[in-house]
Amino acid sequence: MEKPIVSMRNIVKRFPGVVANDHIDLDVFKGEVLALLGENGAGKTTLMNILYGLYRADKGEIYIDGKNVYFKSPKDAIAHGIGMVHQQFMLIDELSVVENIMLGLKEYGLVLDLKEAVKKINKLAREMGFKIDPWQKVWQLSAGEKQRVEILKAIFRNVKVLILDEPTSVLTPQETRELFKIIKKLIANNIAVIFISHKLHEVMEIADKIVVLRKGKVVGKLSREQATPQLLAKLMVGREVFLEITKRPKKPGHVVLEVKNLKALSDKGVLALKGISFKVRAGEIAGIAGVAGNGQKELAEVIYGLRKPLEGKIYLFGKDVTHKDIYERIRIGISLIPENRLGLGIVGEFSVAENLILERIDEQPFSLNIPLLSRLNIKKINDQMLLKYSRELIEKFSIVTPSPFAKAKTLSGGNIQRLILARELGRKPGFIIAEEPTAGLDVSATEYVRKLLLEMREQGYSILLISGDLSEVLSLSDKVMVMYEGEIVGAFRPEKVSLDDVGLMMTGVKRMPREVIEKIWD
Amino acid sequence: MGLEIKFIERELHPIMYIIVPLGAFSLAFLCGGVLMSWAGVNPISGYEAFISGAIGSPVKFADTLVRTTSFLLMGVGLAFALRARVFNIGAEGQYIMGAIVGTWVALLLQENLPPSITIIASLTMAMIIGGLWAGFAGYLKATLGINEVVLTVIMNWLAFKLLQWLLRGPLKNPLSEMWPMSPPIQAKIPVIISGTRLHLGFILAVLIAIGGYFLMFKTNYGFKLRVAGMNPDAAKYAGYDVRKIIISSMILSGSLAGLAGAIEVLAVYHFLYEGISIGLGYTSIIVALVGKLHPLAIIPSALMFGALYNGVVYLQSALGVSYTLSKAMEGMIYLFVLISEVFLKYKIRIIRR
Repeated sequence: MEKPIVSMRNIVKRFPGVVANDHIDLDVFKGEVLALLGENGAGKTTLMNILYGLYRADKGEIYIDGKNVYFKSPKDAIAHGIGMVHQQFMLIDELSVVENIMLGLKEYGLVLDLKEAVKKINKLAREMGFKIDPWQKVWQLSAGEKQRVEILKAIFRNVKVLILDEPTSVLTPQETRELFKIIKKLIANNIAVIFISHKLHEVMEIADKIVVLRKGKVVGKLSREQATPQLLAKLMVGREVFLEITKRPKKPGHVVLEVKNLKALSDKGVLALKGISFKVRAGEIAGIAGVAGNGQKELAEVIYGLRKPLEGKIYLFGKDVTHKDIYERIRIGISLIPENRLGLGIVGEFSVAENLILERIDEQPFSLNIPLLSRLNIKKINDQMLLKYSRELIEKFSIVTPSPFAKAKTLSGGNIQRLILARELGRKPGFIIAEEPTAGLDVSATEYVRKLLLEMREQGYSILLISGDLSEVLSLSDKVMVMYEGEIVGAFRPEKVSLDDVGLMMTGVKRMPREVIEKIWD
Repeated sequence: MGLEIKFIERELHPIMYIIVPLGAFSLAFLCGGVLMSWAGVNPISGYEAFISGAIGSPVKFADTLVRTTSFLLMGVGLAFALRARVFNIGAEGQYIMGAIVGTWVALLLQENLPPSITIIASLTMAMIIGGLWAGFAGYLKATLGINEVVLTVIMNWLAFKLLQWLLRGPLKNPLSEMWPMSPPIQAKIPVIISGTRLHLGFILAVLIAIGGYFLMFKTNYGFKLRVAGMNPDAAKYAGYDVRKIIISSMILSGSLAGLAGAIEVLAVYHFLYEGISIGLGYTSIIVALVGKLHPLAIIPSALMFGALYNGVVYLQSALGVSYTLSKAMEGMIYLFVLISEVFLKYKIRIIRR
């Protein structure tokens, strides 16, 4: 039997609080496409970063051509013929294509013969079946062209195994087809390709073998002939258990949030929301399920006001807030519990007390008028009131902190989330966006957050829950919508759905009819 | 194989914030001594002259306080811009614009109005023009994203060239053939200790520093400004108008620099000339940084740099040390102080790989 070109044995990698790779075995053979399939956080990228020398495994061995190897850095991995194209391209925008490709290649010595290199690049590109102008500066290229430069860069370094990390996430459908042609050329040249993805139809189209990861473990190894979308979705999502949560049935009240035909771009300039419409009512938790990166983040930002929509309308408590800034939206009654807690949620250098008052610093009684200056909205901070209010919140939300004066960044992750919740819920916002509210938290903090959200629901608050944790969304929500590539592809009551269907919707295989979605989302 | 230098952030005991800058000064003086002996000056008598020039007599100490005044006003202003993460390098130009407009207004009004009103009008207009001059750069940064460092440096040159032109044209004193300077100003800011040059502007500067402390640490405006500087994303998330904060911090910064320029003319020189600033605005950036961008801590910082400035000037005139050598010593002190900032903030480890 043919020997694998890469063989990973018993790979274990732990990060604080999680086992990202739990005894993983993986074999890759020459001239085949191996797809690594799994949800975000399943451990695909971690595993590939280990193979590429970016991380070191806590346990386990890597064999290249049967030889045990140890990579200290990507340099070693590249020397052994491993190449990787990251989601974020590692190119220098100001340099030309040829310069980027030649960068760091030692054998060419001190004097770079760019013309010679250009000839080689043109020849290679012709063989691969695509066009590229080697003299063009990288900043002038589209995402798809940049990706080709990355692939050429790898081929120039005599790559034997090429890892593509979610390569289609930045591509248009046409560019994706082009990429697949290139991949076929690569395997025809006996290069092995590892294709990381969570999109089932792509995997079914391009892969020879499919390895499914879930929560750091290999849960399935199949050939393309064995695989069906249903089977893959089931493996990927797993048998999620409903949480032990008692949720009293409740009749939803009036409409609190309504969005109509929202469209917005992502930071990369790709259309991330492709016309989203739904309503959320008082006393209701509306959940958004989906693999991260399908527009959830952009949706939260557009509703809160951090991102401008291209099109569409947002109504909050019946008011059109589409063109209102965050300051006004907060006063109408919106709250965001952000996923990026340290970067967005707190000011690390400020005290706990100051963080608890972040959005209300202009308000009475936290700031008092000063004659004349108040006209310029300059007011004196009422330290006593600030302290009193923060003590109340620290007590009510059981924030563990040495004192209200401690710097927020010194708190533990769970307590930082409590701080954010205390601040956001303490001002009784009416409508709450909870973005990955339990990600990275320990068991007790997770339980606390979930209970709190349900309590808010009881009190008549309206909550939009965005979470990659499917069991969380299904257990807490009154209604759930599934997002895939910037669209709502399914909407249902969580008790009336099969998990297999949810998996198929999350991976873009299945889509519910528009009328059904609209009915649930009214 | 290779060496890697690693910077680890640290927090030091507050006392180190006094010890480390002093250490930097000592090292700078040591190197300055080497320079002096190289130039044929006995370092000991050099430093004697230096110290006596800075604090040697009540008159000289008063002169040091006069120099402190401009550093203090500009340093406090810069603290606001820098805390909002706006790198205002333009205090120099804002100071010159304040001096120009302050002079102009004083010359226009002093014939017909009492000195007190002339002074108040002159200082107010200087603040307004300084604020607008800086605010313009802040506005372009906030709305168009233009780099404020480049912009303010260019505007410094613009202000200086404008000064040169005005002194040879509309603001020229017809009686002064040789030196380009403005006509004399009669509306003088009063001296508070007779026999010295210490003027009321110094008291005003200290009061403004105290007011600046209040504004930065005790008001909602200062709170939002500090949030916007430390974590602009969190500021947006909390609903702050970050653009407004950027622009207003520049206006504040520029108006204090403009005020400093007009005070210099109305209290010290009583006429406008080309050497009105000669880099005071750039030095003020270091004054603000050594004062940890804290308005109260900028008071001793400004005093220290005031003493340094006058000491170097005296060294030059007393011992005949060349202008270039004394400037080299001054530059060396700034260099050491800036390097010491890094040591204050980071632990530095050299790792062999």
